[in-house]
Amino acid sequence: MRMSLLKPFSKLPGLNTANILLVEFEELFQQSLADALVEETAVTVNVRLAKNLPLPKENEEVRPRIDLVVFIINMTSELSFQSAEASLKYLDSGFFLGKVCFMVTNARNASVPTQRLDSVRKLAASLHCSLLFAEDQTPEGVTNAAERLLTILKVSAGLVPMTTALYLSNLTRCTVPPDIDQPTFD
Amino acid sequence: MDDSVKSLLQRLIRRIPSQLLKTTLEKWGRLTAEQQQSLDFTQSKWMLTENLLAMCEENECTLRHIAELEVTYIMDYPNQGMWYAYQLMDPEDDAHCVELIQFKEQFKTHLRELVRHVSIIIKKHTDEAAWIRIAWGDTYTRPSHMKPTYIVHYLQSPYVFVSNLTSKNKPLLSQALLLSTRYQAIKDANLSGRKLTAIRDLLMRQYQQVFPTKYPSPLAEENQSITNPQIEKEQDKNAANRLQLAREAFGDGTLPQLQSAVYKLETKFRDQTNKTMTARDEPFKCVVKFASTNLLESLRDCASSGFASAPVTPLLSSISLKGKNYFVITDNGPGAATQTRRSQN
Repeated sequence: MRMSLLKPFSKLPGLNTANILLVEFEELFQQSLADALVEETAVTVNVRLAKNLPLPKENEEVRPRIDLVVFIINMTSELSFQSAEASLKYLDSGFFLGKVCFMVTNARNASVPTQRLDSVRKLAASLHCSLLFAEDQTPEGVTNAAERLLTILKVSAGLVPMTTALYLSNLTRCTVPPDIDQPTFD
Repeated sequence: MDDSVKSLLQRLIRRIPSQLLKTTLEKWGRLTAEQQQSLDFTQSKWMLTENLLAMCEENECTLRHIAELEVTYIMDYPNQGMWYAYQLMDPEDDAHCVELIQFKEQFKTHLRELVRHVSIIIKKHTDEAAWIRIAWGDTYTRPSHMKPTYIVHYLQSPYVFVSNLTSKNKPLLSQALLLSTRYQAIKDANLSGRKLTAIRDLLMRQYQQVFPTKYPSPLAEENQSITNPQIEKEQDKNAANRLQLAREAFGDGTLPQLQSAVYKLETKFRDQTNKTMTARDEPFKCVVKFASTNLLESLRDCASSGFASAPVTPLLSSISLKGKNYFVITDNGPGAATQTRRSQN
C-alpha cells in the first residue's frame, strides 16, 4: 500500500515543463480537456490520464513528476464521486499542500441530489483543496476549464515567480458555509 | 373466392407495410407479370387492397395461396411477435440423417394423425431452415387462419423456434416434431425475444466469439484517438485487459440484438442491516429484468468501461455462453438455471 503512493517531490522537475494528472472515472471529459491543455505554448504541458488511483507500477520509472492532480467528478453519478474518494488515499499527503484540486461537471443538472454536492464541498474543504465547476458539453466550456486549470498548474509547477502552490491554495480553497447542514428550501 | 379468403387477404395486406408489399408480392409469384406491373404502390392501401382482391379473384386464389403469401412475408421479416426457443434432446441414431423432404412428409403425416383439421405449409428458407406455418382446427371445426403458429427448425441442429403457440396445441406440436426429427424429448431453451434473428444468432453462436489467449493482439492501438505525445494514458493496460475480458464474455463485433434478460431470484434475503428480513426462513422472491435496445452491447460496454467489475460475473456472461435470457437463481447456485420453466410432457 505504501509503495503505491504517488509522491509529489521525489523526482526532479523539467525545464519549463508542467505535468498534470487528470483522474476521471468516466474517461470522457479528460480527453477533451487534455487536447485543450496541450495547446498552451508558453509552457510544455504534459497530460497524464487515469481512471482512478493507484497508478500502475510499471509506469513508475517513466512517469514525470506530477505537479497537479485533478479529480474530475461527474455530479450525476454517485459512482464517479465514490471512485474519486477512494482514489484519494493513494496520494501522498504532500500533494494536499496545493497540488490537488477537484473539478466538478453537471452540477446544475436537475437530477443531482443536493447532498452529493454538499459532500463534494465538504470533502474539498476538509482537504484544503480548490473546487472548480466546469461545463463540459461545449468547446467554450472546455477551453474555459482548461484555462483555469492552467493558471493553477503553472503555479504548482513553480513557473510563476513569487507564488507557490500552498500560497495559492490558501486563497482559492473550498470552504463550506457554517449552515451547510441546515435543511434548504428545496 | 369466398368471404374467409377475402377477409384473410384484406387483413394480410393491411398488416404488410406498403414499402415491402411490392417485393413480397413478386416473391409470392401468384400474380402474372401484367398484374404485377399494373399495381400502383403509391396509391392508398385501401385502393391497393381492392385491386389485389380483384386480381386474386381473377386468378382464383385459394386460402392456401393467401397463407403462402403470409409465409413469404414472415420469412423475410421475421422480427415481429414473440419467438421462443426450444431444444430437442436425446437423438435417435438416425436423427442426423433427417433431410428436408423426409422431415416434411413425416411432420405432415404425424400432425394430421393427431389433429383432424389442420393446414400445414412448409417452406425452405435460403439459409436452409425449414419454416412451418400451422393453422389449427380440431375434430369438428375447419382450421382458423387468424392466429397461425410459426415454427422455424434448422435441420441438423437441435434448435426449434416457435411463435404464437397456445398451450393447448403445444403437446400436439411437440409430438409431431419429435417423431419427424427423430429425437426423444423437447425442452424449453429459456430464450425468447421479438427478434428471431437475434435469438437464433445467439443460440447458434453466429457472432464473432473471442477465446481466452495468453497473447492477445494489440488492442490498445484500436482506440488511438489521442496521438499527441504530450498526452499519455496511465492505465492503458488495465483498459485493454477489461476490454479483452468483456469481449471474451460477450463476443466481438456486432452482437445479436437481444432486448431483455430476466432473472427470477429465489434466494434468501442477505442484507445484514435489515434484521426483520434476514430472520425469515423463506426465500425472498423477486424478478430482475434487464431491458435495452441491444442488451449484449450495453453489457459488454459496462464491462469494458469498468462499470461492471472484470472478470464479468457468470450471471451476466451466461446469457451469451449458455444462450439463455431467462434464469432462475436459487441458493444452491446458478446451476438451477438449467431447470425448465414449463413442464414438458
